[in-house]
Amino acid sequence: MKLTIKSMGIIVVGAFVVGIAGAAVLGFWKTTSSKQPVAIKEGEFAGLPNPSDIRGSYTWADVAKAFNFDVKLALDAFGATSETEKVNTLETIYGEAGLPEGVEIGTDSVRLFVSLLTGLPHTPEEGTILPSSAIAVLRENGKAETSLIEAAAAKAYDPAAAASPAPASPVPASPAAASPATKSSAPTPVPAALSSTTTISTSTTVKAESAVVEHVAAPGTITGKTTFKELKDWGLDEEKIKTATGGKIGPDSSVIKDWAAANGLTFSELKVKLQELFPAP
Amino acid sequence: MKVKNLKLKKGAGNIRHIVQAAFFVIVAITTTASILNEKGLAIPFIPDASLHAVCPFGGVVSFWQLLNFGTLVKKVHESSVVLAVLGLLLALLFGPVICGWVCPFGTFQEWMGKLGRKLFGKKYNNFVPRRLDKALRYLRYLVLIWVSYMTIISGKLIFQDYDPYFTLFNFWTGEVAITGYIALALVIVLSLFVERPFCKYACPYGAVQGIFNLFRIFGIRRNAPSCISCKKCDKACPMNIEVSTSKVVRDHQCISCLECTSDAACPVSATVEMLALPGSVKDSFVKPAVKSADKE
Repeated sequence: MKLTIKSMGIIVVGAFVVGIAGAAVLGFWKTTSSKQPVAIKEGEFAGLPNPSDIRGSYTWADVAKAFNFDVKLALDAFGATSETEKVNTLETIYGEAGLPEGVEIGTDSVRLFVSLLTGLPHTPEEGTILPSSAIAVLRENGKAETSLIEAAAAKAYDPAAAASPAPASPVPASPAAASPATKSSAPTPVPAALSSTTTISTSTTVKAESAVVEHVAAPGTITGKTTFKELKDWGLDEEKIKTATGGKIGPDSSVIKDWAAANGLTFSELKVKLQELFPAP
Repeated sequence: MKVKNLKLKKGAGNIRHIVQAAFFVIVAITTTASILNEKGLAIPFIPDASLHAVCPFGGVVSFWQLLNFGTLVKKVHESSVVLAVLGLLLALLFGPVICGWVCPFGTFQEWMGKLGRKLFGKKYNNFVPRRLDKALRYLRYLVLIWVSYMTIISGKLIFQDYDPYFTLFNFWTGEVAITGYIALALVIVLSLFVERPFCKYACPYGAVQGIFNLFRIFGIRRNAPSCISCKKCDKACPMNIEVSTSKVVRDHQCISCLECTSDAACPVSATVEMLALPGSVKDSFVKPAVKSADKE
């Protein structure tokens, strides 16, 4: 059988038309995401949407709809003006605000905010902070424990304070010593003076960790940057790790948090299970 | 021996360029509409699909995650998987037709190459020393391994920041990393000297498709008895494959463009053709050292 240029042209175009049409009929042709985060698979929150799966491509309206809260709360919290704006615009807005190196207000801040607002678990990345306007909203509406909200408040970025001519003093590390943040208007791109000394985890069983920009964790302490190789180096064999992950394990150099997110697992829950594999100090 | 009318052949060759241009326009319109839609400027009647949604490579790098966990890599949609499967089926039958007929970035490089051909004439596409060129062509497999590994461990589309194809269709959106701009600039400059430089040396999807050249069902076969050794097929090949010395083209770089065939460059009818290949892979590597071997 011989194929000419003409017949090859027909085959290529035909294969695409038929293939795509067939996939569309069968319901496989989806070019946009559902804007619905994956559900938490196990634990007391099983079945509820996972804040860790909020994507930068979601709009504020998508987030509010998925987690069933008034979109105005999110707009007020982050100084956003339109509910159709994507949440990843925060990275541009606050990226230009001159936040200190190692801290960021971006999509992960939205995950943290939703987590504190709804009480659902999420372990933020090291360096993730909230604007002070979000703290004001959370103090009034948040369902998470007060101590977690105050821990977030201790690190919050306050544009008004950052703009003040007086040198800002470091924010106290202890949530108890944190001064209440005041609600501010939309974020102003000004240099911030902000000290980051703690990270916040909304997983109720996880303690605050040291938030240095580099990943320096004590052996046996699992953080958002721990890899599978580190677990093995700390003495856990593959079989033990699998008992916590549900029978699967990522490549050695894989960051556990990223691997969990990619595989629909809740890092905060996985972290607790893995942590339990180490003998108590 | 029949020598075909050259005008007719040019018309046949243009079919591929028309198909390529059509796919380029469709992808450009679709991805632009998607970006404008995100900015609240929806264009009626144009489907909303990002470049990731219409790129089969996203589906390829998602296979591991899909098989193991039933989920897709971030930013990849089901449509990418459909296109990846379609691409694999086509490659199994006809080799990398996606590269030669569909890929808008390949088309873009060919357009740039036309400028290079005008500038350098016969020297165009012959600048890189043969040995170096041959070695560099395996680079894309290293790129493929690196991209696949990094995507598997991170669950993210790692290649986006280095992908000149993504940059071409998104350069105005603010989503492109500086490395993407550098990669695109490099490809544009290199395209003035070398035909399809990204396809030859760096494209990870081209690497996946290229492997199918080793066992594709339909392939390019040269009929040695009728061959007049004019080497027009060699000159026409954008990937610098020596068709004139092969019985069957099994080169891993073939893009199934059919430019070498008797439908296009070859002046003798029924001499270089796309046919079902009954032979084994081993046959393909047998190159006729002497003319008598051709006549077997």
